[in-house]
Amino acid sequence: MAGRKRWVNLFMQSVFLGPSLLFFVIVVIIPFFLGMYYSFTDWNGVAITVNWVGARNFAAMFADAKFWTSFWFTIRFTVAVVILTNVIAFALALLLVQPLKSRNLLRTLFFIPNVIGGLLLGFIWQFIFIRGFAAVGKATGLGFFKLEWLGTEATGFWGIVIVFVWQAAGYMMIIYIAGLMNVDRSLIEAAEIDGAGYGQKLRFITLPLVMPAVTVCLFLSMSNAFKMFDLNLALTRGGPFGSTESLALNIYTEAFTNSNYGLGTAKALLFFVIVALVSSLQVWFTKRREVQS
Amino acid sequence: MKKKSFLSLMLVLMISVLAACGGGGGMPNPNAATGTDTKTDTATDNKTEPAAGTDTGSSNVTLKMFQFKVEIADAMEKLLAEYKKETGVNITIETVGGGADYGAALKAKFASGDEPDIFNNGGYNEAQLWKDRMEDLSDQPWVADLTDNVKDPMTIDGKLYGMPMNIEGYGFLYNKALFEKAGITELPTTLTELRAAAQKLKDAGITPFENGYQEWWVIGQHLVNDAYAKQDDPDKFIADWRAGKTSVADNKIFNEWINLVDLTMEFSNDRPLTTDYNTQMTEFASGMAAMTQQGNWTQVQIDGIDPELQVGVLPMPINDDEKLNDNIFVGVPNNWVVNKNSPNKEEAKKFLNWMVTSETGKKYTVEEFKFIPALKSITYEPDQLGTIAASIQEYVQADKTLGWQWPKLPDGTNQEFGALMQAYVAKKITKEELFKQMDETVLKLAQK
Repeated sequence: MAGRKRWVNLFMQSVFLGPSLLFFVIVVIIPFFLGMYYSFTDWNGVAITVNWVGARNFAAMFADAKFWTSFWFTIRFTVAVVILTNVIAFALALLLVQPLKSRNLLRTLFFIPNVIGGLLLGFIWQFIFIRGFAAVGKATGLGFFKLEWLGTEATGFWGIVIVFVWQAAGYMMIIYIAGLMNVDRSLIEAAEIDGAGYGQKLRFITLPLVMPAVTVCLFLSMSNAFKMFDLNLALTRGGPFGSTESLALNIYTEAFTNSNYGLGTAKALLFFVIVALVSSLQVWFTKRREVQS
Repeated sequence: MKKKSFLSLMLVLMISVLAACGGGGGMPNPNAATGTDTKTDTATDNKTEPAAGTDTGSSNVTLKMFQFKVEIADAMEKLLAEYKKETGVNITIETVGGGADYGAALKAKFASGDEPDIFNNGGYNEAQLWKDRMEDLSDQPWVADLTDNVKDPMTIDGKLYGMPMNIEGYGFLYNKALFEKAGITELPTTLTELRAAAQKLKDAGITPFENGYQEWWVIGQHLVNDAYAKQDDPDKFIADWRAGKTSVADNKIFNEWINLVDLTMEFSNDRPLTTDYNTQMTEFASGMAAMTQQGNWTQVQIDGIDPELQVGVLPMPINDDEKLNDNIFVGVPNNWVVNKNSPNKEEAKKFLNWMVTSETGKKYTVEEFKFIPALKSITYEPDQLGTIAASIQEYVQADKTLGWQWPKLPDGTNQEFGALMQAYVAKKITKEELFKQMDETVLKLAQK
């Protein structure tokens, strides 16, 4: 009887998990190992013949100055974006758990940028930065709008940061709101009776209790920032003069524009290792700070 | 018992899911627009296929065409509808614009097994890249009618692998009315004359140059070509450059050419680095600047803004040698190629042949696509194609043309040059650094 039950369980599991596992294997696992294989070849993405070249691609990658420039850009970008997104999202969440009349409307409005795809967003914002900002600058004379947006290294960098934060903050806000709503009122009331001020309540009660949300938000914003591609492609395409080329865009260019598929996959492999490492470190680190109420 | 029936229901569901996936990738189903790709369904649904079920069955072949020329996408749909009417062969078309994006999309198509029967190839380096996939077209009836030099990009070991799409030319487009307004009577053919003309325009309150330097292909490909094409022997120069045997730093032509780049920046529009192709053409066509570096493919955009605009083409002089400089750059932008492994390749060849030999095809080439044809057998009046093409035609007839050399450079070079040139015109790097980095880029990308 017990044996039969185990069999049924196994069967149930394969029925429910089987399809998704199958797709996961087909679209993630197999391409991943194929990519590993290609990273040791000189395949150009088209040719029928594929030659094994050993670790040559990895050597070329470490010698590629542009790759490391992109790497450095991606790190700077990730740091800026993770801090800004989470600070803004948390502030918005704090604001929107207050009993405001327009609360639901505002939550929806802040969330909307998230449902627009990155490519489209990139093209819309390119127009806003280049044409919109210029027009506003002309009309108001404000220095901020009169900058040559996306035409210099600094405005290119901050341009992408602004759009990314604008898009991601609404999503993170929803997660923070969910976290804030789950904070036990009685703990806050107890703190109030003990005479805690707003700042103290926030720091010693609310923040520790929403740490699970912080873990999730940090993880999401960090890995998304690291993997940013479509926004980069549409908004600046790595320009001006290659100063805003993210790692993902560099890999794409290497594989598809330069027709070095092997080198591209080698870069992608290193990229994967870095993203996995950084994300797990971050999750491990923030997990330790989570508390139970 | 209840549990059992639930389980079997789940099993059935799972199997049906799997079966559905299996079916999708299998037989190519004529008339069924597969939902996965971004077909230009608008015209296919409305016009070319009045009723999918009423296919006469005269031919069950459906050809897939994957092309990059956005400008002709709509007209091409109409042409394919005409072809279907005449022969019953159904051809679906997909268009993905832009150089690098098209290449990437095409590679993705081949990698996924959804190979098109007819696609595009830019020639030279790109022809080498796709050599394994292209059908030899040397024996096709239209080959004899090709004009001079248009075969070169697609010829490998004496075999012709592609049908040239058309001929295009570029230089500095100039607005004739604005030139007149500034009192320029003699068209500039040397750098000194060009500087004088730019000064006159500026004095008349007209922006001389509209620089679309946000586009890598404007600044990194077309502008730099001026320096390759004016070498004594461009082929030898590029071969030596790729092999590291020559450097642009001590190249006379490059050192003179950079003066032209500086001139365009000295008399530039505002913010050239954030001026994209659309902005460039919009501002030029609405008379906000007198000159812009572009070619006859812009006629459609210009007509959309000001169909009456009189535009001519000027050479892009790098020094005061009139003979060297009084030339514009003419080449074959792209070629139609047939997939060697396609089961329908004979049908594909028939279509290509029809496109350039039938009356309908010829008419479309000139009137709808606005192409300067690459075949002698297609005749046209210059004014059918607009003022830019008419101006290019004059240069062609006077034999004042130089070639397009950039497809001979390693893959990715032109994009990298775009970034380098942007850094140079933004004064982030000096001329010396620019030349040094150009050398390094070519060397790096040439070694595979």
